[in-house]
Amino acid sequence: MTETTILAAYGLLVLLTILLQVLGGMQQLSLGYLMSSRDESRTVTGMTARLGRALNNSVVAMALFAPAVLILVLLDRTSSASLLAAQVFLIARIVYLPVYAFGIPAVRTLAWLAGFAATAFLYLLAL
Amino acid sequence: MTPELTVLILTTLLQIVTFVLYAIPANRELGPGYTMSARDREPTRKMSDRTARLGRAMDNTFEALILFGIAAIVITLTDQSTPYTALLSWIFLAARIVYIPAYAFGWRPGRSLIWAVGFTATTLMLIAALF
Repeated sequence: MTETTILAAYGLLVLLTILLQVLGGMQQLSLGYLMSSRDESRTVTGMTARLGRALNNSVVAMALFAPAVLILVLLDRTSSASLLAAQVFLIARIVYLPVYAFGIPAVRTLAWLAGFAATAFLYLLAL
Repeated sequence: MTPELTVLILTTLLQIVTFVLYAIPANRELGPGYTMSARDREPTRKMSDRTARLGRAMDNTFEALILFGIAAIVITLTDQSTPYTALLSWIFLAARIVYIPAYAFGWRPGRSLIWAVGFTATTLMLIAALF
């Protein structure tokens, strides 16, 4: 797997997160509300709410991870170090999702930190 | 330039149009005194339903854009653009254009179906990029 295929795989992970969050919303809010224009705001609780927060965080992580990977690829500066960092990022984010969904503390923060550090490392390699 | 990148630019322009469509009525309804403030408090006046819908449509387009952007750029960088991925891009763009009026006018279940078309197109593009 190269850095770019890892990026594509992460995109699929975020799409999966959206799908899980929609499925949770269907159970808690009814399909009728989801398909409406949602003029009155309703809140979800428990796992669905956690999946929503995990999704927001995943989108932020993607907005930071994607440019780092694309800069390295465009500048032809990928290396075994950047591949390892991208792999660490993907594994950390794969762990992050169920750990957040089931509300496991500490591990979630560690997984987030690993992804964050891997992204920061990619930017250092790009400089 | 690959068709995927053309669609990426067009979708970004669509987002700018959506922003303008949202920002103008939002400023009229909330008052520039509020919108130019630091927004520490909730606004005293409420936005109309349609304006709030345009705001939610814009938020959703950001999410769609970052995922599609990755699909389009990865496919281009890895030389994997095919008529199939180009077609998926155009389907994505068409769905995201129609999504804006669908939200603003509260089409039901049209909006959800249109959203699902864009979501599926992005998923298929990312799968194509991966294999």
